[in-house]
Amino acid sequence: MKGSNLLAVLLLIAVLVTACAPKTAVVPTEPAVVEQPTVVEKPAATEVPVEASWTFPTENVTLEIWWHEYGPFTAYMEEMIPKYMELHPNITVNVTKVSSADLNQKLSAAIATGTGPDILDQDASYYVQYYEKGVLEPLNLDVWGAKSYGDVIENYLPGGADAGIFDGKIYSLPYQGNSMSLWISNKLFVAAGLDPVKDAPKTWEDMINICPKLKIVDGNVTKQKAFDFPYHSARWQLQQFQPLTEQFGGELLSADGKTVALNSPAAVSALTLWKRVTDACGDPQTTMNTGSNPNQDFIDGRLAMWITGPWATPQITASEFVGDQFTVVGLPQVDPTNPRTMVYGWEWAVNADRPEINKQVAWDFIKFVLASPEEWLAKAGFVQPVKGLLETETAKTFPFLSVHLKDVETATWYIRSGKVNEISLAVGAAIEAVVYDNVNPQTALDAAQAEAENALK
Amino acid sequence: MSQKLSITQRINFPHSFKLTAPRQQMLFGYLILLPTLVIIFVFRFYPMLQAFYISMTDYDLIKSPEFVGLSNFIDLLKDPLFLNSAQVSLTYVFFSVVPTWIISMGLALLFNRHIWFKNLFRSAVFMPVIMPSVVMALVWTFMYHQQGVVNIILGWLQISPIPWLRSSSTALWAVILIGIWRASPYFMVIFLAGLQAIPSDFLDAAQIDGANSWQSFLYVKLPLLKPTTLLVIIMSIITAMKVFAVPLIMTNGGPANSTRVLPLFIYQTAFEFFDMGRASAMSIFLFAAVMIITVFQIRLFSAGEDE
Amino acid sequence: MKKGASNLLSVRIIKKILVYAALVLAAFVCLLPYYWMISSAFKTEVNIFRLPIQWFPDPINWMSFVKGWQAQNFPRYFFNSFFVSIAITIGTLLFASLAGYSLAKFRYPGRNIIFIIILSTMMLPLEVTMVPLFLLIKNFGWQNSYMGLIVPFLVEGFGVFLMRQFILGIPRDLIEASRMDGASEMRIFFQIIMPLCKPALAALAVFTFREAWDMYIWPLIIVSKDDLRTVPLGISLFMGNYGTAWDQLMAIATVGTLPMIILFFLLQRAFIQGITMTGIKG
Repeated sequence: MKGSNLLAVLLLIAVLVTACAPKTAVVPTEPAVVEQPTVVEKPAATEVPVEASWTFPTENVTLEIWWHEYGPFTAYMEEMIPKYMELHPNITVNVTKVSSADLNQKLSAAIATGTGPDILDQDASYYVQYYEKGVLEPLNLDVWGAKSYGDVIENYLPGGADAGIFDGKIYSLPYQGNSMSLWISNKLFVAAGLDPVKDAPKTWEDMINICPKLKIVDGNVTKQKAFDFPYHSARWQLQQFQPLTEQFGGELLSADGKTVALNSPAAVSALTLWKRVTDACGDPQTTMNTGSNPNQDFIDGRLAMWITGPWATPQITASEFVGDQFTVVGLPQVDPTNPRTMVYGWEWAVNADRPEINKQVAWDFIKFVLASPEEWLAKAGFVQPVKGLLETETAKTFPFLSVHLKDVETATWYIRSGKVNEISLAVGAAIEAVVYDNVNPQTALDAAQAEAENALK
Repeated sequence: MSQKLSITQRINFPHSFKLTAPRQQMLFGYLILLPTLVIIFVFRFYPMLQAFYISMTDYDLIKSPEFVGLSNFIDLLKDPLFLNSAQVSLTYVFFSVVPTWIISMGLALLFNRHIWFKNLFRSAVFMPVIMPSVVMALVWTFMYHQQGVVNIILGWLQISPIPWLRSSSTALWAVILIGIWRASPYFMVIFLAGLQAIPSDFLDAAQIDGANSWQSFLYVKLPLLKPTTLLVIIMSIITAMKVFAVPLIMTNGGPANSTRVLPLFIYQTAFEFFDMGRASAMSIFLFAAVMIITVFQIRLFSAGEDE
Repeated sequence: MKKGASNLLSVRIIKKILVYAALVLAAFVCLLPYYWMISSAFKTEVNIFRLPIQWFPDPINWMSFVKGWQAQNFPRYFFNSFFVSIAITIGTLLFASLAGYSLAKFRYPGRNIIFIIILSTMMLPLEVTMVPLFLLIKNFGWQNSYMGLIVPFLVEGFGVFLMRQFILGIPRDLIEASRMDGASEMRIFFQIIMPLCKPALAALAVFTFREAWDMYIWPLIIVSKDDLRTVPLGISLFMGNYGTAWDQLMAIATVGTLPMIILFFLLQRAFIQGITMTGIKG
């Protein structure tokens, strides 16, 4: 074949291949195959009769939602979405699931190019940034059918909705408000001659005292750890460092979010305690935890005590070693009469950069989806920080829900600042320097303070 | 002798323009370069220019960029975190690239001989290139565990376990080892291709003249491998400067910032701190460093190029 | 004489042993993580994290492949990955060779500048060029489309660089001789240059396919439709915020490496090809 003809043909093929690619058909995706706990089926929330200040639009609207992939969560959403579309045939809901590690980058790039979704799903700490930059659309009271923001906030536990409130208005609502409490592996306690309930530590000193019984070292191999702090993510580290600092009477971030105090005496005491506890109870060098399986050590029976949230319940219950042989008690305290804990959450919000009608339908959709906290608990294992959850049927069968909720009541939200990522990385680096390299806590935190101040400038 | 007109001859030029043979060739040269030029200029060079511009602005990905001149660059030079990342990156580049050159060249020479089961060995050695980066990072994370594969093997050699990812003095070496592991087969393949292209006449002639294998390497292969070597040096530096997946997934820059290579810091600055202006400025520093090395290498190697 | 001969023999034997020892060591080191990935695919999740580590899966878990495959729409994802990777590979082989030939064997003003510019486009990390590029793609209307996934990567600096360096080594005389014989430029390219470049083309094909297959961040940000997802994005969905289906992840990741392995085997012969260039004037 003549060379020039061949070239022409190849170029033609290349053009055809790229330009005439098959139009992507809408392929219904398989819902994730996941075990569901058997549950008393409550009918989906019916529409709350709304004063006729807002009527549901009749034109066709397509909503885009992005959320972070998690089996039970995705399964529940994929149950609710068809119901909503049935209720409102003119609405189409398009979903994109993203691995949570990637969600931030995808959202940021999308917002920067004006291609973001209608409904955002993000960790509450990001919404400070988004609010400050005008990305969020406040809750539409007419759509919601409420007279004031206060009415909506009333439904939540004290402080439960705080992370989404800016300037007195609601900009996001939590579908998860998690406190981190202390989980005990019953089998390991019993094997050490301890009672999982009576001997569960209430204070950090208690913990240091029982650790020798639970930490098993053989030669230079740590076979079992009594307790360990997290090392797989700076965010987790800050989430546990924050209440510890508050337990010593300090505050990491001022109320106005403008000053940071990472090297205060309270913070230094917190880090010193962290190191003491780690030396007595744990071994950060032997951990199988990673960012996407943070509870692995506990699940595998290599860790007797671990701090994590209620969302871990389905995973831990399904595990081979632990199963339902666990106890949850409140976060250990420095001073049990003045408990300080931490709550963080994931929240839904609406993108302000979308057509008005999309935004209205979006809030209506959020209201629909959030309507049954009991179902969220039963099907996704997520605790909405709302009133009345504890009294429901499901709550009674959810292990230790009262403990989780009690820790939510005494909690401060994970620090809310536009610079939360810089701060968590700075704190994480300080913690690692102290734990891995035996750096002096004051020195390490001074460095963290300098970094954070630099970021806040 | 065919009378068929070539592509360039078929173009109708103004009568005054003499289509001499050299001009014809020049035109042909431009023509076949065109598709590549268009794609690279539109999709690579233009965004690159925009990134240059953004580096001189304050841009948080949401509000429009605001021009701030050189203040990003000046701030960076005073930022201990940036200087730390620059140092980590340079350390990484040097200690991963030099062993990679040696190992990949050595492996290519080995595979250039007659070997039994050559296909098998070569395929085995090629495996590191095939693994997806994310999975590679995850697998190595487990291999570096205190009681993981690497320490077990060290135990066979009577070496006591190393904390690897759990100490700021060893974590970077863990990352470097992965870099060497991943890059050596990659560049071995390129060296192999280069070696294969050496006409066997030259090698036969050398052998007839009594050269042993070391002399044959030094005086025949190495000089003829110059273009390939230039490619390998520059590409290995560029890829080492851009390494990202492993530090992100395996250590997230830790412990204590010891593996926070520049691309990772750039990514964090852009997408976690929402400071794209600064991130772009950092990239410019990275770019400048690589560019200087590249141009220098090209000059060095151009001294004998066939043109 | 005899002593000299036997010394030579023992030196050769030692050399041979060293060569094979080095090869075995290299193969072992290179295969180990890959073996770890495959064995994890066949282990039950519990055993993946077992300490002391379990070298060989026991019990063997076949379900990881089945469950993993069903967990997401992998048939579609594999199709997408193939389509995109093959398109990019073909484009690169063609355009990079043409460009490499042009830069290596033709003289025209601006040649060196253009080469440096093409090289320079490799030096900025994708993170900072990503947003401007995304905006560009969005303006073309190519987000969420195959065009957006393929066209920006249809040819890259690396490919051009590789081919240029390789073609530099082809003697000018060969080309001049063909010109004197009256061959058209295109014919010279396809019938003289390309066959001589087989090893480089094979290497380029393998690397380009690998890069295209492995692409993660770019598809992540421009794809928001499940039926455009590529395999790496599909695999990432196994990694939840709270737990990961490790056995399934490793299983699908293993399956995901098969295309590369097959491609490499198919191209083995091209790697082997030696070149004899007889008939060249001294």
